Amino acid sequence: MAEDVFDLYDREKLLLAEGQAILETGDHAQIQGFAERLFDRFSKVVRENEDLTRHSDRQEQRMVKLNRNLKTQTLELEQQRSRLEGLSKQLAKYLPPQIHDAMFAGKYDTQITTQRKKLTVFFSDIKDFTRTAESLQPESLTEYLNEYFSEMTQIALSYGATIDKYIGDAVMLFFGDPESKGVKEDARACVEMALEMQERMLVLQHRWRERGFEHPFVIRIGINTGFCNVGNFGSDQRLSYTIIGGEVNVAQRLEANSDPGGILISHETYALVDDLVDVEERQSVSLKGIDRNIHTYAIRGRKAESDKPLRLKHPQGVHIDLSPQYLNHDDRRLIAAQLKTLAEQLENLDDRDSVA
Amino acid sequence: MNLEATDRTPAISLTQDPLKLSISGESFPEDVSAFYGDIISAINQLASTAKGKLEVEMAMVYINSSSIKAMYRIFEGLDAYRQAGNEVQVTWKAEADDDIMQELGEDFKDRFQALSFSVEQHG
Repeated sequence: MAEDVFDLYDREKLLLAEGQAILETGDHAQIQGFAERLFDRFSKVVRENEDLTRHSDRQEQRMVKLNRNLKTQTLELEQQRSRLEGLSKQLAKYLPPQIHDAMFAGKYDTQITTQRKKLTVFFSDIKDFTRTAESLQPESLTEYLNEYFSEMTQIALSYGATIDKYIGDAVMLFFGDPESKGVKEDARACVEMALEMQERMLVLQHRWRERGFEHPFVIRIGINTGFCNVGNFGSDQRLSYTIIGGEVNVAQRLEANSDPGGILISHETYALVDDLVDVEERQSVSLKGIDRNIHTYAIRGRKAESDKPLRLKHPQGVHIDLSPQYLNHDDRRLIAAQLKTLAEQLENLDDRDSVA
Repeated sequence: MNLEATDRTPAISLTQDPLKLSISGESFPEDVSAFYGDIISAINQLASTAKGKLEVEMAMVYINSSSIKAMYRIFEGLDAYRQAGNEVQVTWKAEADDDIMQELGEDFKDRFQALSFSVEQHG
């Protein structure tokens, strides 16, 4: 079988075997013919070897060159990557993180497109900012403002807010685009965020006073939920990812009417967070372009666990909302007994009477 | 004989009518003797199985040293066919920017001067 396998060096190996046999037998008569064949083959092998070595050298030379080019390119790419990373970090400070991330993942569409979406819009600003700013040294003002914006931004991002812009001392942000957990969850996240912001402000105010800031910043917050136009506005040369619409103006107006240190929300927002917060109804506001009176509510605080409404909902038309804080002991017992009776009746119903 | 190219071996075809041998692609087989054995045997037998002009076209992209040894055997077989009284026309094609393949073609041309041999650039 081994003889069937082709061997590139078969002729050289044959000659070696022949030479070995001659040496072993000492058959000098064969030497002349063998020497001629050996010389002929050896000459060819030397030529082949010359060509092979030359070819091998050329390949090596190309490889060295390619390797050098690769090293240069890798270095250039690394420098480029590092530049891009730096640029990305800088840009991240100017763009909403969701937009920045989508952009660098190559998923963001920079077309001038907008869509109508139900969003929860947040506005905050610092009460008497101009007067407060005038009473401070510019260095101190910068320090306190940066601290204020840093802390508020951190809280906003932790709740998934899309920071639209900072307008002087004001902050405008919204929930519901580009990512949304649903209208209700977006509104709740916004209100929870606003509560944490005001709580944080109390800590900051204490800290600032200790550092000599006599009348530290106090912020007002307004929140509204409604349909807005969201997307890229502007021109092909310059785009701004933002929201516009009457409901945005409502949020701004609510902020202006809010108590210092307080949060004023519209009825549309309140309807989505009524089990979350205690509120106090305030005077309605009207706004040009909005053909309804806007009912407003000032948030008094988080609802205590025991005050949260008890709910039973089923798509077949069952909807029970119980607010325990409005029920006395006897009422609670009576309703519980009625619900138990209803549950027993429901369990004992004959399945044959049910719909398919 | 007709072998498709793989990522390690060239396409090889040997036809009788017209009598033509073509080898093209990359060549760094795991076992050079095993891969080129059949074509070398077929070429070595050409003098007894065919007659007339043999056209040879080679267009290699990359070739390792062991494969060059196999090429020598092929060219030796072609030269034997020529010595049997037949015409052999070899065309060695190399890409315009591939000086290594061009120079290798020139080396073969130089070693087998009795063959009608041309080195051409393409691409």
